[in-house]
Amino acid sequence: MGKVVAVHSYKGGTGKTLISASLAVSLAKLGRKVCLMDLDFRAPSLSTLLNVSKVDHWINDYLNGVCEIDKVLMDLSGKIGSQGTFFVGLANPSIEAIRDMSSKDRKWEMRALGRLLSLRNSLLNTKGFDYIFFDTSPGLQYSSINAIVAADLVIVATTQDNSDVEGTKRMLRDLYDLFEKKTELVLNKVMYSDALTSGRDKLQTMVKNIYGVPLLGVIPCFCDISRAEGKVMFVHEKPDHPFTRILGDIAAKVDKIPV
Amino acid sequence: MSSSNRELLGKKPIQILEKIKENLEKLNEKMEVMIELQKHGRKGFEPLSPEAPLDVMTLLSMPDHLRKTAMTVCRLGRATADEVAKQTRRARAVESAYLNQLVIMGYLKKERKGRKAYFYVDKEGQG
Repeated sequence: MGKVVAVHSYKGGTGKTLISASLAVSLAKLGRKVCLMDLDFRAPSLSTLLNVSKVDHWINDYLNGVCEIDKVLMDLSGKIGSQGTFFVGLANPSIEAIRDMSSKDRKWEMRALGRLLSLRNSLLNTKGFDYIFFDTSPGLQYSSINAIVAADLVIVATTQDNSDVEGTKRMLRDLYDLFEKKTELVLNKVMYSDALTSGRDKLQTMVKNIYGVPLLGVIPCFCDISRAEGKVMFVHEKPDHPFTRILGDIAAKVDKIPV
Repeated sequence: MSSSNRELLGKKPIQILEKIKENLEKLNEKMEVMIELQKHGRKGFEPLSPEAPLDVMTLLSMPDHLRKTAMTVCRLGRATADEVAKQTRRARAVESAYLNQLVIMGYLKKERKGRKAYFYVDKEGQG
């Protein structure tokens, strides 16, 4: 039985999209059957990151009940080499679609949760996917909370920015705890020298003390990543880059987490 | 002696006990509903809404014990108190009470099929 992983954060710009895409690709490269879904309907970005231009059906259509999930899923296994199975479902980035998604009522959101839960069943049980990754909007958005409720594991991306730390703490206490979600934390954009001097054990203790959840991984701030302007899928195109190794380690850990 | 009692006399004690348990459970469900009705005042009691949507924000604002039950029904789609209890690892009677409470609040629908009562989220009109 596979698992559903939601990647979420309190603030924007913490690296959710890069982390979810990199973990999905890393797991696909380990031979897993992976599906990555963009549930960030306010600022869809996977289509740009993965450089997909022609899309017939979006996740928006599936959640609106216009089409079935098969129409939405796109096989991008070819883009990441031959080993893995890598499917994506993209969110419609047009302003009209963003506006439409932000004006849904509670009844619609309730049905959307139902559709996410049935998507979970059909992809994991019927189609035999090992992983579904949900890339979400930051903060307390309907779509993000729906994703969290439908997930088995929530990976929270956080930086050392003070407002992010405080907000993340609140979110862990008032959101994930209430839904009894298994939650792990990824510290992103850590200054490289800090990461080296603190050492893993020290950071692990610090995270446990501040947030009360396990530390899944620490990603240093890489200038190469900023320099690439979101045009390079590091875990595929730069196999020897430290970022690829770190994300590979985190993916291997995710693979071992029981749900 | 009523005919149903006479019928029972011919059965083994375990079957009689099962029958009693079953009846007690039915009674318990009814009492829970009555308690809820009393709590809200007999006259003024109205369900929150006949179709209150069970969305995530509503789930968040629920008391912990009800959220657990409601989320389990969301996940299972349609379930008996027994099936919910298996997931939450709480007693069947407890789940039965919570489920009935959620029905009264308008978040769940209940449907009887023979001896079993099924609870589900009303997604009427879901495409």
